Amino acid sequence: MNWRSRLVIDAQHHLKWRALDGLEALTMVVCGICLIGFSTSVFFDVLTRTIGSPWLWLQEVTSTFFVYGIFIGAAAATRRNDHLYLSAITETMHGMARRLVETFNRGVVLAVGFCMTYFGYINFLQGFGNFRMPSMTPLASYYAVIPISGALIMLFTVEQLWNGWRNGFESAKAEPERVLSYE
Amino acid sequence: MSSGFILLLMGFLFLAFGYLGVPVAFSLIAGVLVATALTPISFPSMIAQLFNGVDSEALLAVPFFLLVGELMTSANVVGRMINLSQAMIGHLRGGLAQVVTLFSMFFSGISGSSSADVAVLTRTLAPSMGREGYDAGFIAALIASASTMANLIPPSIMAVVYGATGNVSIAGLFLGGIVPGVLVGIGLMIYSYFFGPVGHMTPRSSFMGLFNAAKDAALPLVIPVIIMGGILTGWFTPTEAGLVAVVYILVVAIPCLNWRHVSELPFDFIKTGLLYSIPLITVAAASAFGWMLAYLRGPDQVSEWITHAAGTDPRTIMFLLVAAFVIIGDFVDAIPAIIIFMPIINKLTDIGGINPVHMGVVIITTLAFGLITPPYGLALLMAAKFVDVRFSVALVRSLPLYVVFFAAIAFCIFFPDVVLWIPKHVLPESVGCFKSPAGTGYICPT
Repeated sequence: MNWRSRLVIDAQHHLKWRALDGLEALTMVVCGICLIGFSTSVFFDVLTRTIGSPWLWLQEVTSTFFVYGIFIGAAAATRRNDHLYLSAITETMHGMARRLVETFNRGVVLAVGFCMTYFGYINFLQGFGNFRMPSMTPLASYYAVIPISGALIMLFTVEQLWNGWRNGFESAKAEPERVLSYE
Repeated sequence: MSSGFILLLMGFLFLAFGYLGVPVAFSLIAGVLVATALTPISFPSMIAQLFNGVDSEALLAVPFFLLVGELMTSANVVGRMINLSQAMIGHLRGGLAQVVTLFSMFFSGISGSSSADVAVLTRTLAPSMGREGYDAGFIAALIASASTMANLIPPSIMAVVYGATGNVSIAGLFLGGIVPGVLVGIGLMIYSYFFGPVGHMTPRSSFMGLFNAAKDAALPLVIPVIIMGGILTGWFTPTEAGLVAVVYILVVAIPCLNWRHVSELPFDFIKTGLLYSIPLITVAAASAFGWMLAYLRGPDQVSEWITHAAGTDPRTIMFLLVAAFVIIGDFVDAIPAIIIFMPIINKLTDIGGINPVHMGVVIITTLAFGLITPPYGLALLMAAKFVDVRFSVALVRSLPLYVVFFAAIAFCIFFPDVVLWIPKHVLPESVGCFKSPAGTGYICPT
């Protein structure tokens, strides 16, 4: 297996543009980098505290990697259809009923993505007037991830809507069994 | 517009969107945004609330425990723990069914995730059980039920989230979870012994066989010792303990047990990087939902209903909460349920004068039970899917096992002293005890 096939999921390919596969791979890599980043910063945080000369700014680095990982991961999970669902009712539907429900569901996600982008951007702009202690970095650097995540979620949702209406939301062939969960 | 109406609308929208197939996190956010439009709260401040939900040092433990489980599973070193379980109890009636339960207890001490447990057991022991004649429904039911122990026996991701959002000692919840975890384990073993299929019983292992199996499994079994030992000695917080366990696996366990896996590590990090974002974006959304619930005075209204029915009797309050959470757990994922309803739980904990760790253990046990109840029994859904049996068949075979969970929950409610015995003696501060001014021992709340 090459890197690309391990980073870009093959399921529901009829809902995807190949041009965005690279973006999915990039978001996955960012998730991994964020995990490695905050693991490393927590490690050095513990180490420097233990030796008696703590680097206080490491806590800011940790929380930044942590929060960026969550929101970028949420965007990646939108394209990969890896989010948590309460039901898979749409998968039992066919024809126009399915098309309408899938469209409605993605409309809800699109609206949420829009709110994250627009109101998140307002927060981002306001964040230049507030600073994180002790490094005095503008809070905007922290808030930037919400509009980024919102924009990616919107992009991936539009991609699924467009291709869903062109190719149908139902898969032509059976999807491989795949469950990604944490509990 | 009345706050009661907005509350109902928000809850209805969340469930309606969720059951139509909108991801849980987006259903929650959509419900909150509609409620925001009907209140004087500004949209940017509600979006910023998503941050506040995950800006917590304690929640950093979640990815570390997930990473521990992922590394142990993908590096394929859990086979040694299965061999040890087999050597210890493979000769009992029920054979592999007993091994499944004991292995789950061991693995629960490492991963904190039922899904990881289900994935490992369905890949490793389920095929052997099938060859030995166990019916697929029983295999799925037992694996799903045993996997719930991952949320009870420390380290538990549910306990981390509960502690972080409810301001309850996570170490106390870890220690308190041992009693229901072991009760569920013993209950499942008793059920398999008396009522389960006979299975294929292996000859009793010799002392040397047991010793060798224990020696082979020693390196992975150090992980629970690192995690709990570090927390209990006060050397690490749960987050730091998770990190130290990750470092131990990367530096010691994988190089010693499966060094070829080193080249796969980047993918393990990438996969876990995605995996941790899924519950935590739900935590972010649920905390915004919980904030709105509190703003609309939802906890006051619900606790008024419950105290109207139960007065201030702690046991009745707990039974009503358990009944509510059995229903809630059937429809809503455990993590958002904890966060959304935490203000209500806290309020009722105060009214009933209940120890917060005791309440936490009871709620977590109830939500762990929700992992095998329909329609949203995630562990049972996964186990049925991986074992390749219809969900309804697995559900019917899991019904008798519900008795084990009811007994464990009832035991926890009626015997708080037993549940709190370990935390009270190992980490007294975690259950509200404080050092006696006389300098001899601790004074604990009754």
